[in-house]
Amino acid sequence: MTVTVEPSIFKIVKYDSNEIAGVATEMLKLLGMESTNLMIEVDEKVAMSRVTTTISEPVHILVMSSAFENLKKPMTFSAENTKFSLGRGLLRVRDRQSGHFDDAPTDEDLSIVEAAVWETYCVGRLSRLGLKVHKQRWHYNFRNRHGFNDTADKHFEKIWTADDLTWSQLSEISQHAIA
Amino acid sequence: MRKFFPVQDLARDERFNQATNEERMADPRGTSTTGVIRKARSTNRLTPSRPDATDAARSLMHGIMVGEIQALEGAGRTCFDFVTGEEAPFALKLDMARQCWDEARHVEISVKLSEWMGTELGQFIENTVLFAAACSQDPVLRLAGVNRALEGLAIDVFTTMKEFGELAGDPYLAFCEDWMLADEVTHVKMGSVWLRKITEDDPERRKKALEFQSVVDKIFSYGGLRSESDESPILLARRFRELAGFSDGELTEIADVSMAALNERREAVEKTLASSPA
Repeated sequence: MTVTVEPSIFKIVKYDSNEIAGVATEMLKLLGMESTNLMIEVDEKVAMSRVTTTISEPVHILVMSSAFENLKKPMTFSAENTKFSLGRGLLRVRDRQSGHFDDAPTDEDLSIVEAAVWETYCVGRLSRLGLKVHKQRWHYNFRNRHGFNDTADKHFEKIWTADDLTWSQLSEISQHAIA
Repeated sequence: MRKFFPVQDLARDERFNQATNEERMADPRGTSTTGVIRKARSTNRLTPSRPDATDAARSLMHGIMVGEIQALEGAGRTCFDFVTGEEAPFALKLDMARQCWDEARHVEISVKLSEWMGTELGQFIENTVLFAAACSQDPVLRLAGVNRALEGLAIDVFTTMKEFGELAGDPYLAFCEDWMLADEVTHVKMGSVWLRKITEDDPERRKKALEFQSVVDKIFSYGGLRSESDESPILLARRFRELAGFSDGELTEIADVSMAALNERREAVEKTLASSPA
């Protein structure tokens, strides 16, 4: 397992590349991905929390700077947010590596509905791994994409509590939630 | 009881972290400068179609919540800081007391909406610029800065959030924002009425107040947060502002000031990009 972080020295945000690499290593172990090599590229010019992954060797993770940020003290590092952001990205990578998500679009091509449904699946699993998660945030995100009604809520719970879904199953639940 | 309370002494519990507007503006980062983001967005307007819409709405809702707290504190100070009759008419204070009541209700609504959207109180930084505008020693300047500039911005923000709720199908957000918007129109109107009344025979004081309002309007534009351009998340809500007593000329001036702030921000981002390694 190797983890590289770009840039090695940050000019705008107060982040430490070694600290980021340390958190990434911890998350790879937690997710059972010890054989995965990572290249994390942080775009420190953008204050958004988007994380985009590309399956390659090493796996490439493009991160907008707010994904690693302490929102209470802007431009400073938060190990907790970093864990959480990387965890969501790495679970997508693990899903793709499983062979059950071969028909999923690339991260950049995911629709906002597809992104929301996959996020729900990832965050639900992270919560069971012991990461601090505010479920209501993800429920609200899911509702924004699937509707504010009981049907959408029922399907949210189904995805949130699942551990072994495939991309086609996820897509099917999402379609039922919207219908 | 102490009069003219300084912004740095606002009472908050340990959940809240505060920053001045200068500190917030020192953050040179943009939100739409890379190819990835451009691909994802055709506009920066806060609508549900934005990929980051939910988080952006949560962040804005938190900003509204702390803004309501500061608006309550500001209106409360105006009730108390000035001598009744000599420095501020009783009826003006009565309007400010009514505004306190409204703002307190808005705080409660905003807290509940934040929880509904999955936000923890204090999760985001609190910008204290709103209360800073309420620290003027002249009640007329407070009316211009707070009721007309700040509450005017609130009209723009609530209109955007109300539309967001309608488009997303969020019944609570759309409903609550609509009701709060109605109050904000009243608050702005109170500011407009009192500004004209108090400075009726004092054109110099009125000029000073309107200049102060213009400065505050520019600060509240947060470097392009609100304008008539699609690049701004918040749209200038002309119709509701008209209802609140803004003239066409005033609206054009606010639009120009907001656009200037957006252009300044754009230049700052380009400068940052040019000076950063590729």
